[in-house]
Amino acid sequence: MSILVDNVSKSYQTKTHLSVVRNLTLEVLTGELFVLVGASGSGKSTLLRLIAGLVNVDQGRIWLHGRDVTDLPVQQRNTGFVFQNYSLFRHMTVAENIAFALSIRQVSRQERERRTDELLNLIGLDGYGDRMPSELSGGQQQRVALARALAHEPEVLLLDEPFGALDAKIRVQLRQTLREIQQRLNLTTILVTHDQDEAFELADRIGIIEQGNLLEIGVPSALYRRPQDRFTATFLGSANMLNGERNGNKVYLNYQHEQVTLKAPPNTEHLSGRQVDIFSRPEEIELALTPDGIRGQLIGTGIVQSATFAGPLERVLVQLSAPGKDSPDPITLQVVLTADEAREKGINPGQQVWVGLKDFHLLARTES
Amino acid sequence: MRELRIRTPLQALLLALVLGYAGILLLAPMVAITQGALGSGLGKLIEALLTPDVIDAFELTFLLAFGAVIINTIAGIALAWVLVRHNFPGKNVVNALVDAPFSFSPVIIGYALILLFGRNGWLQPANFQIAFAWPGMLLATIFVSLPFVTREVQPVLADLTREQEEAAFTLGASRWRTFRRIILPQIWSGLLYGIVLTFARSVGEFGAVAVVGGSIERQTETATVFVFRAMDDRNLIGAYGVSVTLGLLSIAILVVMSLLRRRPAR
Amino acid sequence: MTDISLPSAKAPLNGDARPVPRPQAAWGAWSLRFAALSYLAVFIAVPLLAIGVEGLGGGLETFVTSITRPAALNAVWLSVWTAAVMTVINTVMGTLTAYVLTMYKFPGKAVFNALVDLPFAIPTLVTGVMLVLLYGPQTAIGGFFEKQLGFRILFAPPGIVLALLFVSYPFVLRMVQPVLQELEANQEEAAHTLGATPWTTFRRVIFPAIRPAVISGALISFGRALGEFGSIVVVAGNIPMRSQTAAVYVYGQVEGGNMQSASGVSLVLLAIAFSITLGVDFFLRRRHA
Repeated sequence: MSILVDNVSKSYQTKTHLSVVRNLTLEVLTGELFVLVGASGSGKSTLLRLIAGLVNVDQGRIWLHGRDVTDLPVQQRNTGFVFQNYSLFRHMTVAENIAFALSIRQVSRQERERRTDELLNLIGLDGYGDRMPSELSGGQQQRVALARALAHEPEVLLLDEPFGALDAKIRVQLRQTLREIQQRLNLTTILVTHDQDEAFELADRIGIIEQGNLLEIGVPSALYRRPQDRFTATFLGSANMLNGERNGNKVYLNYQHEQVTLKAPPNTEHLSGRQVDIFSRPEEIELALTPDGIRGQLIGTGIVQSATFAGPLERVLVQLSAPGKDSPDPITLQVVLTADEAREKGINPGQQVWVGLKDFHLLARTES
Repeated sequence: MRELRIRTPLQALLLALVLGYAGILLLAPMVAITQGALGSGLGKLIEALLTPDVIDAFELTFLLAFGAVIINTIAGIALAWVLVRHNFPGKNVVNALVDAPFSFSPVIIGYALILLFGRNGWLQPANFQIAFAWPGMLLATIFVSLPFVTREVQPVLADLTREQEEAAFTLGASRWRTFRRIILPQIWSGLLYGIVLTFARSVGEFGAVAVVGGSIERQTETATVFVFRAMDDRNLIGAYGVSVTLGLLSIAILVVMSLLRRRPAR
Repeated sequence: MTDISLPSAKAPLNGDARPVPRPQAAWGAWSLRFAALSYLAVFIAVPLLAIGVEGLGGGLETFVTSITRPAALNAVWLSVWTAAVMTVINTVMGTLTAYVLTMYKFPGKAVFNALVDLPFAIPTLVTGVMLVLLYGPQTAIGGFFEKQLGFRILFAPPGIVLALLFVSYPFVLRMVQPVLQELEANQEEAAHTLGATPWTTFRRVIFPAIRPAVISGALISFGRALGEFGSIVVVAGNIPMRSQTAAVYVYGQVEGGNMQSASGVSLVLLAIAFSITLGVDFFLRRRHA
C-alpha cells in the first residue's frame, strides 16, 4: 500500500480553535483516490498536512510507499500538494510555476519546457504558459496548481479542498479533470473535502473524519446505504432514524404507545438483542394513499407537512401520527419522491398518507 | 476619486493657495541656497568642495549610511517577518516600538549613546572606543533609520500568502531557496523603497551623530556636521556648497522614490 | 505600498500566523524572534533605560529641580507652543494640499506630487541653512520684516515655526492623501445629486472620513516637531530664555557636561513624544479593528 498513517496524533492551538488528530490509523492503496470527508475543524486538513510534512506529528509514524517519512522534512517527502487557493507564485508565469519543482532539481531547460508543455496539455491550458496567475480565473489557477504539483512526478498527490473556492459549474468540470488525470497516471491520491457530492463522485473509498477521529471507511455506496456509524449516517446525506430493538430475526419499531414488527435485514445478527436505530434514506421511504399501496413494510400513518419542488424530485416532509418513544415531539420523516410519483399520488401538504419502508438499515444505538 | 479640471474661480484660488504655500515654503529656500552657493562663481564653489575636510566628511557620511542600510535591511526584514508571521505575547507593544525612533529627538539619541558608551559609560568596552568615534555614530545612524525597512516590508509581506511558501516546500524548495525565489521577489519593491528611505534618513542625520561623535574635525564629522561647523566658522561658501550638494542628493533620492512608488506591484 | 514611511495605519499584524511546522524550524523561528527582538531591545530599550537612570538616579527631588530651572522650563514651553502653532497651520495646509492633489488635474502635478516629499529627503540642517539664507536679517525679506514691521523672523520664534513647517510638511499630507484617494467618487457625486454644496459635501461627507488620518498626522507631526533639532539650531539663534528650544537646550547641557539637566529635560521630551506616538498607534489600531 502507498500511504500508511500509523496511530498518529497531533494537537495544536490556532488563533480560532484547537486542532486535533487522535490516534488515527489509515491505509491508502496504490493508485486509489481516497477522499477524506468531514466538517470544518474535524482535523481533515491537519491530517493531510501531517502526511505532507507541513506539520509534525506529536506521536505515530507516517509511511509513503514503504518509506518511513515521519522525520523527513517536507522537501524530501516527494508529495504533490494542491491548496485551496492563493498558492500560485504570483510573480512567476504559468510556465515558471509549473516548472518550479524541476528547476530546483536541476532539470535541463529543454526537458523543463517539454514537461511543461506536456502538463499544460494535460490540464487543457495549451498556450497559457506566458500568462500571469492574476490573469487567470479561479478554475484555471487551480488547474495550474495541479499541473505544478505533478511536474516532479510525485508518488502521492494530496489535495486540500481544492475546489472549495470555485463556482459550482467549474467545480464539476474540475472534478472530472482531476478524475481523468488521476486515473491516467494511476496516482495514489488523498482529497480532503466537506462536500459529500464531491466525495461520492470521486472516491474509490471514503473516510469519514470527525473531531480528529476516523470514524468509518468504505466505498461510497456502502457508506451511504450501510453506514456503521451514526455520524456517518447523518453526515453523508439526510437520514431518518427510528427507535428500534432487534430480537430473533425481527426488528421492533418502538413508538410511544405501540410497536410495529419488521423483518430484520440480512447481516445484522450481531445486533441481536440490542437497541438499534432504524435508519433509512429519504428515497427508501414509501408513501401511499391506502395501506395496500405500500409494497415495502408498513410502519404507520402520517400527514404531509410540506412538499418542495427540487427539479426532478419532490422533497416531502411527513409527520408520523404516532409519537416516538424517546421524546414527546412528533417524528418527522424526510422523504424524496420523483416528481412524477408525487403528482400521481397527489402528495400535497395536509394529505393523509400511509408510510412504509422500502428498505432500511440498522445502527447500534449508543448510550449518549 | 476622479480628477477634475479646475473650473470655478474658487477652485483656482484653492489651487493657487496650495501651490503658493508650497512654493514659498519649499522652493524658495532651494533657490536661495543655490544662488548663495554660486554667488562667488562655480569655480570657487568646486574649490571649496574639494577640500580634505569636505571629502572626509562626505566619506564618513556615506560609510555610515551604507552601514546603516545593510544592518537595517537584514534586521528590518527579520523584524517584519516576526511581526507578520509570528504570534507572541507583547506583539502589539513591539509593533509600536518599531516607530519609537520617530519619537526621539536626535540630540537625545546622541546623548543616550554617550551615557552608554562615554568615558564612564555603562557599556563602554575597555579597548574599543564607541562614543566620540565612528562606531557610536554608526549606532546612532542605525537607530534613526530603523523603522523604514520594517514598515515598508510589512504590508507586502502580509500580501504574500503562507500557501505560496508551503507550496514551494512541497515542491522541494529549502527554506533559503524559498526565501530567495518566492519571498524576496515579491517583497522587493517594498524593500527597495524602504532601503532608499533608510539611506536618505541616514545621510541627513545631524543631531545624533553630532552629539555622539563629538563633532571632531575630520574624524567624526559627517557632511551635515561639517555644514554646522562651517556656518560657525563663517565659511559660508563651504556651508552653502555642501548644503547644495546634499540638496541635489536629496532631489536624486526623491526622483528614485517617486519612480519606485509608481511601479505597479506584480 | 505606503507612500512614505509614517507610523502606518496599515502596518499589518495579522498575516496568517500559524504554528511553525518542524522541530528544527521551530528552533529557527525562536532564534529569529530572539534576534529581531533583541535588536529592538538594544537600540530602543537600553538607551531609554540609560537616560532614565541618569535622570532619576539622583533622586526625584534633583530631577524636579533640573527640569524646573527657568531656562529649562522656558525651553520646553517654547518647543511646545511653536510645535503647536506649526501643527495647526500644517494640518490645514496639509489637508488642503492632499485635497488638491487628489481632486484636481493641473499641469506639473506629477512633479509637485514628488516635490512635497522633499522635506523627507533633505537633511534638516540643510533646511536651516536655506532658511537663514532666505529670511535672515541681512536678506531682503528678513530685512524688510525687521525694519518695516519690527518683526524678526530668524533668530526668533517665527523662524522656528517656519523651520518646523518645512520639515513637517509631508506628514499630514501623506497620511490624508491615501484615505482621500480611496474615498469613492460616488460618495461625493451622491452628495451633489442630493443638493449639497461643495462646502457641505466637504464638511459632512469627506471630512468625517479623513478625520482619523488628519488627527493622526497632526499628532505625529507635533511629536516630531518637539524633538526637532537640525533645522532649529541654525535658525533660532539659541538664546537661552528667548529662542532656545528643548532639544537645543539639551544639546547645550550635554556639551557643557551637565548630564543631570540634560537627562531631566530629555525625559520630559521623551515622555511627551512617546505618549503621543503610542497614543496615535492605539488610536489607529482601534479605527482599523
